[in-house]
Amino acid sequence: MRIYAVFVYLFLYAPLAVIALFSFSAGRSASDFHGFSLQWYATAAGNRLVIEALLNSLLVAFVSSAIATLFGTAAALMLPRVKPAFRMVFDALTYVAIMVPGIVIGISTLIALATTFNFLNPLIAGDAPGAPPLGFGFGSLICAHSLFAMALVIVIVKARLSGMDRSLVEASMDLYADPWGTFRQVTLPQLMPAVIAGFLLSFTFSLDDYVIASFVAGSRVTLPIYVFASIRRGVTPEINAIGTTVMVFSLAMLVVAQVLLRRQARKPAAA
Amino acid sequence: MDPRKEFIKQLRRYEKGSISRRHFLGVTGLGTAMAVMAAEVPGLLPRKAWAAGSIGDKVSLATWPNYHDPKDFEAFTAQTGAAVEVSVFGSNEEMLAKLQAGGTGWDVFVPTNYTVSTHASLGLIEPLDLKKIPNYDIAANDARLIKEGTVNGTVYGAAKDWGTTGFAVNTAKVKENPTSWKQFWDLTQGAYSGRVTVHDYQLTTIGNALKYYGYSFNSNDEKELADAEKLLMAAKPNLFAITSDYQPAFRNGDAWLGICWTGDGKQLHRDIPEITYVLGKEGGEVWTDFYAVPKSAPNREGGYALINFLLDPAINATEVKFHGQPSTDSRTNKLLPEELLKDPIMYPAAELLAPLEFGSAATFTNPARAELMARFKAA
Amino acid sequence: MQGPRKWDWTAILLMSPSVAIFLGLLVMPILVVLVLSFGERAEAGGYQAAFTFAQYANLPARWAAFRNTLTLAPLGTVLCLLAAYPLAYYLAVKVSSRNRLLLLILVIVPFWTSFLIRTYAWIFILGGKGLPALLDMIGVPDVRFINTPFAVLVGIVYGYLPLMVFPIFVSLERLDKRLLEASDDLGASPARTFWQITLPLSAPGAVTGCMLVFILLMGEYLIPALLGGGKVFFIGNALVDLFLQSRNWPFGSAVAVSLVVIMLVTVTLYLRVTLRNRGMRDQALV
Repeated sequence: MRIYAVFVYLFLYAPLAVIALFSFSAGRSASDFHGFSLQWYATAAGNRLVIEALLNSLLVAFVSSAIATLFGTAAALMLPRVKPAFRMVFDALTYVAIMVPGIVIGISTLIALATTFNFLNPLIAGDAPGAPPLGFGFGSLICAHSLFAMALVIVIVKARLSGMDRSLVEASMDLYADPWGTFRQVTLPQLMPAVIAGFLLSFTFSLDDYVIASFVAGSRVTLPIYVFASIRRGVTPEINAIGTTVMVFSLAMLVVAQVLLRRQARKPAAA
Repeated sequence: MDPRKEFIKQLRRYEKGSISRRHFLGVTGLGTAMAVMAAEVPGLLPRKAWAAGSIGDKVSLATWPNYHDPKDFEAFTAQTGAAVEVSVFGSNEEMLAKLQAGGTGWDVFVPTNYTVSTHASLGLIEPLDLKKIPNYDIAANDARLIKEGTVNGTVYGAAKDWGTTGFAVNTAKVKENPTSWKQFWDLTQGAYSGRVTVHDYQLTTIGNALKYYGYSFNSNDEKELADAEKLLMAAKPNLFAITSDYQPAFRNGDAWLGICWTGDGKQLHRDIPEITYVLGKEGGEVWTDFYAVPKSAPNREGGYALINFLLDPAINATEVKFHGQPSTDSRTNKLLPEELLKDPIMYPAAELLAPLEFGSAATFTNPARAELMARFKAA
Repeated sequence: MQGPRKWDWTAILLMSPSVAIFLGLLVMPILVVLVLSFGERAEAGGYQAAFTFAQYANLPARWAAFRNTLTLAPLGTVLCLLAAYPLAYYLAVKVSSRNRLLLLILVIVPFWTSFLIRTYAWIFILGGKGLPALLDMIGVPDVRFINTPFAVLVGIVYGYLPLMVFPIFVSLERLDKRLLEASDDLGASPARTFWQITLPLSAPGAVTGCMLVFILLMGEYLIPALLGGGKVFFIGNALVDLFLQSRNWPFGSAVAVSLVVIMLVTVTLYLRVTLRNRGMRDQALV
C-alpha cells in the first residue's frame, strides 16, 4: 500500500517536475534540453503581454470572488429566514449553477449577453450619443465567474452554518445583544474559515478558468487565454517558465491560506 | 515664467477641474517622465498615448498564431503610446462567429479573402477610410491578389500578405518525395499512418480531399463532396491530429506529413531544414489575408493607426521576415533580401501556382460542408 | 423567535443580489438557449426565429460525440475511483496523524496549479520526445500515446484524482476505528472487515467523489482538445464546433439543452439509487 502511495505521488509530481525542468532550458525549442539558463524567465517577465494577462487575471479573480463571497455569504445567512418554497427554488438554482458545465455557461452567457447588448446598444446610442457601446470584456467575464463562484460560496458557508453551535447565538440573544452585535461577535468569527475558504476557492477557480473566459472575455487576454494560445504555438520554453511561476505562486497562496486559517483557529483558544 | 510657479498654477487648475489629468501631465512634463518610466518598466504601468494623443492607450487585434513580430508591436507602442492587445484564432469561422455574436472589442482583425464579402454583406465590417491608411498603396499591390478585399467597388480590406496551402513533409522520415495530393492521401493511409495532420476547419481539409479526385477545391457538388467524405473517413483513423496548430507536432517529431500554410512551412523549414513545403501539383488553395475594421470597433482611430503602421513597407518587411508569408506590396518586396524573394516556399514556381484556386465565399458558408466536417471530426 | 412578520426586509435586501445574479446569469441564459434550440440556422450562420423541433430531431447527427462522452466519462470516473481509493485509505487509516496533513496537502497542491499547465505537461510527456522516446531507447519502438483515447484518460485521471481522494478520505477518517478493532477481535479476516465495514461506511465519500468527477467530465472540453488532437470528440468539443465553426446556434443550443438534461437525470438517478435507504444523502451533498 505504501508503494502504491509512492507511485501515486510520483504520478502527481513528475509532470510538474518536467515542466519546471524544461523552464530552465537554454534551448529555443520546448522539447529539447540544452543546458541550464534563466533566460525564459527573463523573457516571460519582460513580455508585456504576459504581465498584462496576469494583471487582468488577478483583477477579474479578485473582483469576481469578492462579489461571490459577499453575496454568497449574505444569501447563505438569510436562507433560513425565507419561506421554504423560496428556499427550495434557491437551493435548486445553486445546485444547477454548480452542475451546469462551464462550456454551457460560457456559450449561454455569450448568447444571452450578446442578445442583451444588441437590444440595449441602439437605445444607448439614441439616448447618449458618443457613449461607448456595451460589449464583452472585464464586466461580462467577472459576471460569468461570479455565478459559479457564488454558488460555491453558498454551499460552503451553508455547510458551516449547519454545523455551527446555535447555543452561542442564543446565549448572545439572551444577553440582549442586538442582532448585528450577535452577528459580528458570535456568528461571523465562527463563519470566517468557511468564508475565507469560499473566497480562496473562487479566486483559484477564476484564475484558472479558460473555457468560460474564451467565450465572454471579448478582446481581453487573461493568463489562461495567453497560456492556451502559447500551447497552440508551442514553440519556446517561455510557456514552461510561466507555468512554473504560476505553480510557485499558487503554492505560496496555499501556504498563506494555511497560515491564516491556522491563526484563525488558534485565536479563540488564546482569547 | 518661473517653471515652479507654472507648475503650481497648472496643479491648481487641475485640482479645480478646469483641465484634464492628461492635459496637466502633458503641460507639466510629468507625462513625459511617466512615459519614459513606462517604457523602462515594460508592462508595469498602463501606457498612455501621450505622444500621439488621439488614439487611446490600447488597440485590440484579432489575428492568427505566429503571424506578427512582437517587436513591431513594441515599436508601435513606442511611437503612439497605445499598447496592442492580441487575441489569436485558428479559423475564419471562429472570427466570424465571435463577430456575429457581437461585442468582441476588436479594433482590427485579419480575415481571409473568401470571408470578406460575407463580413461585408452581414454588415460586420466597415468600408475602409483609405485616407487613414496612407501606407496602403493599392497601385503598388498585386491586383490579382488583393481583388477580394474590394466588394462591389468598396474597399473593405487592406491586404496583409498572401500565401498558399500545401503540405509540410519531414524528408528525414518520408522518403517518397510526394508532389501531389493523391500521394498525400495515399501515404496517409499507407506508410505514414499516425504521422499526418490536417487542418481543423472545413475549407482546406475538404478542399484538398476533393483534389485527390481532381475535383475543384471549391466544389459544392453533392456527389463530389460525398467522395471527399469517403476519403476523409478512410483517412481519419490514420491521422495524428486534426489541428490548425501543427507546428509543435512537427517540431517534436510526432508529425511527418500535414496540410500546411506557406508561413508555417517557411518557419518550420527555417528551424528544421529537413522539413520542406510542397504544393500538390493538382492545385489547391491560394489566399490573401486582409486587415479589416469591425463596425463595432471601440477604438476605430487606433485600429486605423495600427493598420497603417503595419503596412509601412519597412515594418511590413520585418513582419515578412518573421512570419514567412510573401507580401502583396511591391514596395515591401524591394526591402526584402534577395534570397527571400527567390525562396521556393514563399514564391512557388509559376506552373505550381497556375492551378491554385482562391477559396470562394460559397464554399466558406456552405452548411453541407460544415456538417461534413463535423461528421469527420466526430467519427 | 420573532413574531410573524409580513416582510423580512433584511432578508429581502441581503438575498436580492444573489437572486439577481441567479436570474440574470443562470436562468436568463438557459432560457435564451432553450428558445434558440427551437429556432433555425440563419443563412450565414447564427440564429433565425422559428418554432421547430428539427434541431432535436437532428440530434443523432452528434451521436458519436454523445457516445464518446457517455463511455469515456463513466470510464474516467471509475478509473479515478480505483486510483484514488487505495490512496485515501492509506492516508486515513495507515498514516500517522502527524504526517497525514502534509501528505494530504501534497495531494491537493497539484490541483491548485493551473489546469492548462498540468495538461500541457502531458502533451510533453506523452509526445514523441517524451515516453515514446524512452521506450524506443529500451527497445520498444514506435509507440504512440498522444492524441489517443488513452492519453485523454490519463489526462482525466491526473486532472481529477485529488477531487476523488478528498471526499473518500474524509468519510474514511470519520469512520470509527473501534469498529475495525471490534471486527478484528471478533475474528473477522482483514478482507472481510474491509468488505463489510470499511467499504460500506466510506461509500458516501466515494459517491460524492464520483459525482464531482462525473459532472466535470460530462462537460469536459479542454482535455480532449489538448490530449486528443481533435480526434477524441466529447459533447463539449461538439458544442464548441457548433458555435464557433459551423455557427449553427440553434442546433448547438439543442445539444447544450440535451447535455444539461442528461446530466440532471443521470446525477439525480445516481443519487437516488446509491443513497436509497441509507440516510446519507445529506452527507454526500456536503
